[in-house]
Order: sequence, then structure tokens, then C-alpha cells
Amino acid sequence: MAVEVIMPRFGMTQEEGTIVNWLLEDGDYVERGDPLCEVTTDKVNMEVEAPGDGILAGIRYTAGDTVPVTEVIAYILAEGESLPEEASKRISAPSDSRVIVPPPEFPGDGKRIKATPVARRMATIEGLQLTDIPGSGKDGTITRQDLEAFLSREGKEVWLQPAGGDVRATPAARRLAREGNIDLGQIKGSGPGGRIQGWDVQDAVQQLANQGELPSRSAQVETERVAGIPPQGSPPVVLKLEGIRRTIAERMQASWQTIPHITFSVDIDMGRAISMRENINARFSDELSPVSMTAVMVKACAAALRQHPRLNSYFRADEILLMPEVNIGMAVALEEGLIVPVVHQADLKPLIQIAQEISDLSQRARRGELNPQDVVDGTFTLSNLGMFAVDHFTAIINPPQVAILATGRIAKRFIPDEAGNPVLRSMMTVTLSVDHRAVDGAEAARFLSTLKDILETAGDQWG
Amino acid sequence: MGNKSTNGIQKLSKKRSIKLLKSIGSEESLKILERMYTIRAFEEKAEQLYSLGKTHGTMHLSIGQEATSLGACKAVRSGYDYLLNHHRGHGHCLAWGAELNLMMAEFMGKETGYCRGRGGSMHIADVERNNLGANGIVAGGIPMSVGVGLSIQMRATDQVCLVIFGDGAANTGPFHEALNMASIWNLPVIFLCENNQYAMSMAVKRAFNIDFISQRSSSYGIPGVTVDGNDFLAVYDVVSKAAKRARQGKGPTLVESLTYRWLGHSKSDRQLYRTREEVKEWRARDPIVRFANRLIRAAFLAEEDLETIKSRVDQSIQDALAFAESSPEPDVGTIMEGVYAD
Amino acid sequence: MLTETQTEREDAQTIRELTYAEALREALQQAMQADETVFLLGEDIGVYGGAFGVTAGLVDEFGPERVRDTPISEAAIAGACAGAALTGMHPVGEIQFMDFVTLSMEQLALQAAKVRFMFGGKASVPMVLRMPAGSGTGAAAQHSESLENLLVHIPGLKVVMPSNAYDAKGLLLSSIYDGNPVMFVEHKLLYKTKSHVPEDMYQIPLSQANVVRVGRDLTVVATSIMVSRAEEAAKQLSGEGIELEIIDPRTLNPLDDTAIINSVIKTGRAIVIHEAVTTGGYGGEVVARIVGSRAFDYLEAPVRRLAGLDIPIPYNRELERHAVPQVENIIQEARNLVRGAY
Repeated sequence: MAVEVIMPRFGMTQEEGTIVNWLLEDGDYVERGDPLCEVTTDKVNMEVEAPGDGILAGIRYTAGDTVPVTEVIAYILAEGESLPEEASKRISAPSDSRVIVPPPEFPGDGKRIKATPVARRMATIEGLQLTDIPGSGKDGTITRQDLEAFLSREGKEVWLQPAGGDVRATPAARRLAREGNIDLGQIKGSGPGGRIQGWDVQDAVQQLANQGELPSRSAQVETERVAGIPPQGSPPVVLKLEGIRRTIAERMQASWQTIPHITFSVDIDMGRAISMRENINARFSDELSPVSMTAVMVKACAAALRQHPRLNSYFRADEILLMPEVNIGMAVALEEGLIVPVVHQADLKPLIQIAQEISDLSQRARRGELNPQDVVDGTFTLSNLGMFAVDHFTAIINPPQVAILATGRIAKRFIPDEAGNPVLRSMMTVTLSVDHRAVDGAEAARFLSTLKDILETAGDQWG
Repeated sequence: MGNKSTNGIQKLSKKRSIKLLKSIGSEESLKILERMYTIRAFEEKAEQLYSLGKTHGTMHLSIGQEATSLGACKAVRSGYDYLLNHHRGHGHCLAWGAELNLMMAEFMGKETGYCRGRGGSMHIADVERNNLGANGIVAGGIPMSVGVGLSIQMRATDQVCLVIFGDGAANTGPFHEALNMASIWNLPVIFLCENNQYAMSMAVKRAFNIDFISQRSSSYGIPGVTVDGNDFLAVYDVVSKAAKRARQGKGPTLVESLTYRWLGHSKSDRQLYRTREEVKEWRARDPIVRFANRLIRAAFLAEEDLETIKSRVDQSIQDALAFAESSPEPDVGTIMEGVYAD
Repeated sequence: MLTETQTEREDAQTIRELTYAEALREALQQAMQADETVFLLGEDIGVYGGAFGVTAGLVDEFGPERVRDTPISEAAIAGACAGAALTGMHPVGEIQFMDFVTLSMEQLALQAAKVRFMFGGKASVPMVLRMPAGSGTGAAAQHSESLENLLVHIPGLKVVMPSNAYDAKGLLLSSIYDGNPVMFVEHKLLYKTKSHVPEDMYQIPLSQANVVRVGRDLTVVATSIMVSRAEEAAKQLSGEGIELEIIDPRTLNPLDDTAIINSVIKTGRAIVIHEAVTTGGYGGEVVARIVGSRAFDYLEAPVRRLAGLDIPIPYNRELERHAVPQVENIIQEARNLVRGAY
């Protein structure tokens, strides 16, 4: 069988080799290892050796030919053997197929110079003659890129058109303007060099609001980021501190002042909890009120508290009482203030039962029909502001309890998976406040870790 | 072997070589011979694959150095003792008992390879069997061998660490640091210098002002010995003795194994620094042929059996190639794996 | 992701105070008591007690084999740690001055960092290398370096910089058990600083940033000694109505940037402060993460860094002070940023 002599690969990046000269001819007898021809690759000369014993035949390329690696360049035949069919065709060197980039044309000689409007403007501002600038666009049109290339060659700072037009504004200002549908060009900037800052946009929105001239679709501009801009004009409205409002105020102050709060946040992937809840609701939709996310949270917290009894305790002057029952209160916002109905023994009740109780408690709370036993003996409190697009917040502990969990909204966020690719997950941030006299950081952290686990591995067995 | 270095090559007496061969026995000797053929065949196949453009990167072939690989690896307990070797490491890896399929797959960058395609020719390791890897850096494994020796000593086991490096490595700073450290703490390390006469193009005669690399052992107060690296039994003898010393808590040894590299340093080596005659001379001292002849003389083997062995080896290489070619490429989605331990 | 607030540490300060050096020593001592595979390796760490006294007394308790003095051989120290870690031990090496880690670079960058990845995730290198960095002692250019960003740039290594005694102990214990090669960068001027250090073997997770101070006007990301300087600056600035939020990444790589990004979203302004030279320094990494994240849309001012001058550390005391950010520089920069100078 004819043995093929190929153009071998000598180097890691070598794609082809060029034959310098043949050391032997068709018909010469060779031994394995004998050099047959010299080739050059990347400035280095190498020899191609015979891969076997026999007669050299069917040389297909001559000196000067450039051959891709692994291409057959000759054959070694045994006595009396003839060349394989393909060998008979002599091949010429592959043609050079590189594309030549046409040089840029210089428009001039009395013809109207073609340039894009941006390019013309840039040239005017920089005091340049369009005749000096080569154009790379269609028919030699001068483009903005041509101006930029010309300027950078000249060592000048390239004039880059800001995204929002001719204005200088911070990213925050641009975002607020976008959200509020405000034209940045109408706003005077108070930042360095007249830069428009976020508060300038907010001021402008306020002004327009006062004049009754808010453009349609605006008014979503955040106002809380601005530090202390007083509304102009009318006197403040007075709300007297009495009744339930007074009680809440006093208790909040007492709690905040006496309890050393430490807070911890954790982001939880609620994907499984959400689908578990949907499954259960699909199964039982006809018979019962739907299971709310609050119910899921109550159940999860109850299970976590069972494993971390320290957070289910009461703090008294010189003792910590580990409470035997897990009674979870849920903060409900009413017109007149906050009320906290309690789901008793939440750890022992199935999810569906908890959901029914919560539904019942919420309805009665809104109608003002709660009984004393509905609001006593809570050992832990859950506060949710997710329905108000709040991402996360810190809640104040309800003494004598030692912990409270504040949950934000569930929002789709991009988080990196193991390969670093962004995946969309339904994330919720929960913030735990604990009384540092009773609970130390590590224990709080462990509780959160357990809670996170419970929610992230939620399954149908919860039903 | 006393505590001073020797000048000259330590010869293996005929009597001792017969004794050694007898102690190894015919079954094991035939396995060793077959492994030598396997290394040779693997390297030749690797070269062929490279020329055909089927492998990526570069390779460093050890054709002609088989006796050193087998002599050293068989003199210790592969899989129990530790091995660290260098970039010209296919031979050592195979001599340590590596599986052909997994080596070929790694060589071709496949997921099923020893290193899941992430290491390639220069970094093949079989960690489970205490082969702590080939190394792309000259002398890269030598300081680590000190750590392995320390680990053995502190865990109080009777393991030893065999670290193989080339003549070029013996001139690096870390070589000096490591041998000194091993000597002051009597670590159970066998420093095996595979002197194939050239560090890429730099001939040993030009790079050293001494005649034998083993002479350097005296700087560290440890024994040093030079042997004929193309004589399996000579290498086996010396490394066995060094391993015994190490196990007895007597510390490290520097062994210099004189051999020759038949092919260029790597694939892009034009070999202008040596003559064809020199290469031909060394090829005539083929270590595999020498060992086969020994076995024939000892009546462990008949000449006809050689063909059987060779065809069996060729078949195993074909099988390994088929395995590697049909193995999957690594999944790009797993590209970030293995940077950190979790 | 968990954040500890300042109140937690302040509340407990009356209980027990240790210096940064003592805290490190206690971590090493407790780890070695609990686990026989933990041992120390470095220059002058035995009877001398380490150049900065961190290992003082440990050789008396654990003996010269587990608290092992080495010759001056940084490459071998790093390599020995890698080799020992590869074979079942948990070495904690010491490089006497961070400047000298340059002599260990090959073994760290090409061996310790890469072995796991090159071997397809089948090996691990659980070692720690401790090194004092930083200027302010008049030791001049070759003994005052902050080279952490060279190490950050190598995947496979983790880089940790504790800013106070409490963190030092917790982070060192985590590092020893992390399972990866951890570069533990201490600061010479921090060794004598004190904070509350609990007696138990607490761990502070790696890759978890710490919000040291909560504020609404400017996010300060600071490392090592710049954390306490920023705290000092914050006290003064508070009187002017400027409230700094200070975040200490603690682990530079892999970085937990969530806290940083959320903070900048809140404050709209950020500055990164470190001792190492500005160009090519860690600040660039953090700034890039901030402006590349959703925090971009909340920025009210350019994101800046305040870091060392691009010079070697000079000998003259005043020049040495000027070469790196001091409290007054931090105050000035913070004022500038908040008052809209940029």
C-alpha cells in the first residue's frame, strides 16, 4: 500500500508550510527517517522525513509551494506498486485569498464634500476643514468615526456625544429624568461645571408639581433620596398623638431605646416556595381560601424557631424564658395603626390550617372584630411590606419577644449561577432584628440559615 | 553508598544484575518489558497524532528514556508512595501504572481524561494513586517534594517521595533550596535527575562546570550516585537502595540517571545543537532491546514472544485511541469548575 | 449574605481584649491544638517568635517539628506548603515580609494556585501563607510593600486582609479550613492594635464583606489599615454632617460585592481606599464592579480611589507618610466627593 507523505505540523500554531527544496526525486529509494525535503514555517526551516521504506513517487508540490498541514505532498511506494488515483493530479499552490481594504477616499476638488451631520458639527466645533479629513463612509462620506480617528491621531481629546444629548448629568439624574419623563435639557444643574445632579431633577419635578404642570406619566420620581427639601407654601397638617397611635409611639420608643437591636439580612430564593404554594392552591382551590405567602412564611418561621428556641423566648429583667409554644404574630397595617394577630402553635399546624386562620384573622382585624385571645401570647413577629415594593427594611422588636422578621417583596433578580451566567430568580430579602441581650450574632445567623434552607427546599409535603 | 558523592558511573555487576532479575521474577519482568513497549508505542502514536494535527498544543516525548521511567517507578511502591515528575512525563505516568485510555483521553483534551481535559500533556496527574503530576515548570515539582516529605514524616508513615526532574532543573534556585531543606530535615525524598544530556538545546557539557550532576549531593551532605539510565536493572537497583534509606529515616538521596532523548525537545525542535551521528549512536543502545535481551538470556522470554507482546501493545494503543476519540469534549458550561475547592 | 454591625463588636469590647498579633497567635495555637495536621513553617518563627512576634511561645507548646524554622528559601517554603497540603496536611507558612513573596511567586502562581484546576478538580491545596505588608516603620522600599493585587490576579488563590484583631482570628481560622491556598495579608502597623477577641474558635466566613459603619452620604470601601483610618475620618466628618458608610471586604478575592453595590445604590457616591500603589491596585477592581453594576444608575458623582502614590516607599519619615493615604487625606477626599468637587 502506498504510504502517504504529509506536510507535518511542527508548531502549536502552524497552519501551513512552504517547500524550500526537494532533497530527493521521484524514483529515489528511501529508508524510514531519511530527509525528503526542506520546508519553512514561521521563519524556521525543518526537514520532512520519510515515514517508511520504499520508493519516493508522486511528488505533488514543488519548491516555493505553500501547503496546508496534513495535506499529502508525495508517496512512498513498494517495489512494483503504482500510485493511487488522486496522486496523478498535480496541484498548484492555493491562491492567496486575502481581501484588500480599499484606501479611504479624500473628497475634494470642487465637489460637494459628503459628511454626516454629526461629523459636520464636530468639525465646526473643533475648527477643522472637512477637506482635511478622509472619509470612510459610502462614496467617501465623512463620518463621526472619521472625525474621532482624525482627532485622536492629532492627540486631541475625542469629543464624545453624551447619551442624553448635549447635557452633562449624573447617572442618577438620567435615571430619574427617564423615570419621571422629564427633559434634562430643561433643567439647570447645580453640580460641578453645571452638571445636573439627581436632586436637581427632583427639584424640577417638585417645581412642576407646585405649578400644577407635571407632564403626564411622571410623578414616579423618588422623593425620599433628597435630604430635607421642605414643601413650599401651605402650613403643615396636624395629627394629634392619641389612642392607638399614642400607644404605638410609646411602645416603639421604649423598644428601640431599651433593646439593643442587631439586624441581619439574607436573600432567599423563593422559587420553590412559590411553586409549592401554587400547587397547593391548584389542588384545593374549590374548597378553601387560597394559601397566602404570609402563611408560607409563618409555617417556615415556625419550623425554624423549633430548631432555634432561643429566638422564641421572652426577655425579662434578669432571665430569658424559652417559651414552649411557637406563636407567630403577623403585623397588620390598619388605618389607625398596627395590630398583630397571632397564629398560636404554628409549628404544630399544617399549612392549610394556618392559611385559613390567617385569612380569618386578617378579615376580622380589618373589620375591627378581633378578640383579646387573638392578639396575646405571641413569641415571634413577622412583618411584611412586600406589597408596597419595599425591597428590605428593619422592624422594631415587640417586647418581651426577642426577635422580629421583616420581609420585603419578592422580585425577579439576576443572580449568577455556578458558571457565572446570570439567571433570573425570584428573590426576597428578609431582615431579622434580635435583642442582643438574649440572642447572639451566631445564633441569629444560624436561624436565618435554617429559614433560608426551609424555604429554598420547600416541597409538597408541607400541605 | 556512603555519605559522600561518587565520581563516575556506578556500574552494576553481572552477579548483582542476575540476582536482581531473579528477585523480580519472570512474570513481573515480562510486565515491565510490556510496559516499556507501551511507553514507546504511546509516544510514537502521540507523535503521529500531533503531525496529523489531531492534538493541540505541544508535547515532550521521552522515546529512548523508558528504562529510567520503569527502573525508578518499579523500585518504589506506586500508588502508595508519591511521584512528582516533569513535563516529559508520559513515560513516568505510564510506568506508575496509569491507564492508557485515561491518558490518551487527557492527551486529546477530553472530559474522560485524567484531568478532565484541563491539564493536557504537561500536567497529567493521577492523584488517587499518589501521582502528583507532571509539571510544566522546570524544577516546579522539586520544592513541593519537600512538602510531601514533610507530610510523610509528620504523619509517620513509611512512604517515600520520588521526584523526577531533568538536567536543566539542577541549575535552578529552587533545586538548591529544596535539596538543602530536605537534607537538614532528613526527609524521605528520592531526587532523581534524568540527565538526557540536553536541556532543550543547552548541552550538559556547556551548562555545568562539573562532570556529574550527582557530585552536587556533597553540597548537601547527602549521598549521590550516577548510573547508566538505559539499563533498567541499574536504575532499579540504585533507586531501591535510595528508597530503603529513606524509609529507614536516613534522609534524601540524589540519583543521576544518564540517558538520551531520541527526538527533539518538543515538536518544534530543529535539533541543530546535536548531530545525527550522536543520535544514531544512542539509538543503538535502545534500553528496551537491552532489557529484552536480558530476559531472553535469563530464559524468561523467547524471541518469538516479542511479536506477541508488541501486537498486544499496539492493540491496546488502538483501543485507547478509539476510547479517546469517542469520548466527549468538556462541556463549556463547566468551565469555571475546579478553580476553588468548595 | 450576613452583615455584622458595629454595635455587635462594641457591645462585647469590655469582655476581653487582645492585640492583632495575639489574636493571630491564639488562632494558630487553637488550630494546632485541635488538629494534628496543622503546622507552621517559616523563617525565625521558632525560638525567635517570628519577626513580628506572632508565633512567640508556640514552639514551646508544640515543638520544633510543628513550628519549623526554615533556611532563607522562600520558593521552597511556598512549595513545601503546597506539597504538604496536597498530601493531607494543613500547613500555615509565613513569609517574613510581603516583599519577599516575590521569591515564592512561581510556586504560588503556577503550582499552588493551579494544581486543582489542572488536575480536573481532583486535588486540593489547603494551605495558608501569612505575610506582613505595609509601610510606616521606616523599613523603606524593599520591606514595606503591599502586593496583594498581584495575588488577587491569580485564579485559584484566595486573598484575605484582616483589618482588626477580632477579624484576624476569625479569618485565620476560616482560612486554615477553607480547603484552598489562602494568602493571608497582615499589616505591620496593626499588630499592636486591640479589639475584643472571644476565646472560642469562631470563624468569620471568607468572601463575606463587613459593613463596619452605616451612613447615608458616601460609601467607603477600605482594606486593612485603611479601615481604622476611615473610621477615624468618619468620626470627624460626622461633626460636619457627613455620614460615611464604611465597608471592609475582608476577602479581596473572591470578593463579596453585594454589600458594596447595595451601599452605593443607597449613597450614590463611592470611594475605594487602600495603601497599595494606585495604578494597577485593588481599587480598580472595586470601581469596575461598582460602575458595571446596577449601582451605576444611582451615581451622583464619579467613583474614585484614594491609594498610595505610584512610587516605592521612601525612607524619610515624612515622605513615607505622604506616600500612602492618611486620615486627613481621607477626610479631604470625602468632603470633596460629598460637596460636589468632582
